Amino acid sequence: MTFNLRDKGAELWEKSPKPARVAIASSAMIFAICLPFLGGTFLNTPISSYEAVLVYPVGLFVLMALGLNIVVGKSGLLDLGYVAFFAIGAYTMAILGTTTSLNFWQILPIGIGLAMLSGVILGLPTLRLRGDYLAIVTLGFGEIVRIVALNTMSIGGPNGIANIPTPPKFLSLEYTLQNQKAYYWTVLFLIFMVIWMIRRLSSRRPGRAWESIRQDEDVADLMGVRILKYKIWAFAIGAAIAGAGGVVFASKSMFVAPEMFTLNTSILILACVVFGGMGNIWGVITGAAILAYLPERIRFISDARLLIFGLVLVIMMNVRADGILPRKKREKSLQS
Amino acid sequence: MKKILELKGVTMQFGGVTALDDVNLHVNEGEILALIGPNGAGKTTVFNVVTGVYKVTKGDIVFNGEISVVGKKRWQITEAGIARTFQNVRLFGEMTALENVITAGDVRSKSGFVGSLFGLPRSRREEKANKEKAMELLKFMGIDHVAHKLGRNLPYGDQRRLEIARALGTQPKLLLLDEPAAGFNPSEKVALAETIKKIRDAGYTILLIEHDMSLIMGISDRVVVLDFGSKIADDSPKVVQNDPRVIEAYLGVPADAS
Repeated sequence: MTFNLRDKGAELWEKSPKPARVAIASSAMIFAICLPFLGGTFLNTPISSYEAVLVYPVGLFVLMALGLNIVVGKSGLLDLGYVAFFAIGAYTMAILGTTTSLNFWQILPIGIGLAMLSGVILGLPTLRLRGDYLAIVTLGFGEIVRIVALNTMSIGGPNGIANIPTPPKFLSLEYTLQNQKAYYWTVLFLIFMVIWMIRRLSSRRPGRAWESIRQDEDVADLMGVRILKYKIWAFAIGAAIAGAGGVVFASKSMFVAPEMFTLNTSILILACVVFGGMGNIWGVITGAAILAYLPERIRFISDARLLIFGLVLVIMMNVRADGILPRKKREKSLQS
Repeated sequence: MKKILELKGVTMQFGGVTALDDVNLHVNEGEILALIGPNGAGKTTVFNVVTGVYKVTKGDIVFNGEISVVGKKRWQITEAGIARTFQNVRLFGEMTALENVITAGDVRSKSGFVGSLFGLPRSRREEKANKEKAMELLKFMGIDHVAHKLGRNLPYGDQRRLEIARALGTQPKLLLLDEPAAGFNPSEKVALAETIKKIRDAGYTILLIEHDMSLIMGISDRVVVLDFGSKIADDSPKVVQNDPRVIEAYLGVPADAS
């Protein structure tokens, strides 16, 4: 019998009265909002700028891991080319930001829309494939997007696109290189939105359909669940989230280039999902936060950094193969 | 009597193997039809061609007098009103019993993603109605006390009953039961026979694959016997029971007769 943190947590959560839940949820949110001010504590990342690390990789990895979790964790579709949608969002921001007068806030929905559209276009022919075959096709797609960007001179080819405008002032929040807090809060807002969305969808019709597809696709099909439709929705929503992340990323780093969007990133995001606990949003958030933060925190040991990172992964997967907070359906989930 | 399902000259070949050979059979509305035959006779293949798992090599399958199910997608067949259970229990093990049944109601649901996301009134009403309907079905099958247990944690008998409840959750007209009594003890079989009759009386038509003769003789209105992919008998249980060809298919020919 292993101690299951997820179950204990869920049990505690269910037992606590409403005010306590509100208090817990809001203090967690306040803690997340205040994170940029904790740079003076042990959390500080030597060498890299702490506030910048909070935006990328930490914030954006959490966001993307949540998106990929819908595809891999909820619906059981192994997507190895997830970074492609991130790239599409980033290039949308880069191209439209440098060639038109549209600002960040106007480009954000366009980037989300284009990423979503490419998710549907990729999904329509490929989502009939299963398991390993789907993984290989998506892996190919991820590489195609990168290589197309690399070879298209009109979008900078290998040089990428520079001088991407930062977002205009939002209320009194200024988006500058020195003040990364604004970016962090933007990402955090997106993360909150995504958590709300996943929680809503999970407990309703789409969530059940995804769950049934993940557990037994053939039976779901025979029970009348329109599996292709739901898989495409999962793909499109996952892509949209990565697209949003891409737009913020491009505007934050003010520069994009094809080598930012390699297979490594796809694998790393997938690692976040698996490490944290597939299918469980709190696990995925924890996993992504740790895997994104850790390499930056231990940057001072330079060369041994990735070795330790790998070691953590190996140990973790041996000790807790289901992730930090594994998926474990509570038996009373539908009791109102 | 109205024919709810009709197989017209259905042939199903897998490479060189003919699993069904020019099979003609029909199911009348409101009856319990039993499909029997020795192992490998093609009984489950009938279920698989009717529900769209396999596409027939030759022939046509007509549902409800007008709709040909050949070439239809599986969900369209379910939507038309055919639901099935599986020979080996195949529940969604990590969902509760109630969720298993609600999931089957997906094909009858209308609310979309936006409705689910924003909790629009229509979506909320539908969620509530689906949940109530599913609960009724669990009660109907006598397993409402395990509604919030995970599928894989249920006792075997309850899993079998849940499979039937899930199939009913798609609101079918025709219910295909693939060996629902497999692994049941005699008293459980008696209870199951009552349940199957109760389902028929509730207005469903039932096509049943079963090996247990006493169960079949007790509940079915008609029996179709398959052997090596061909229909060899189609009559009332009494007549079929004494049909020499059926006896031969099950027991073989006496050595001195050949």
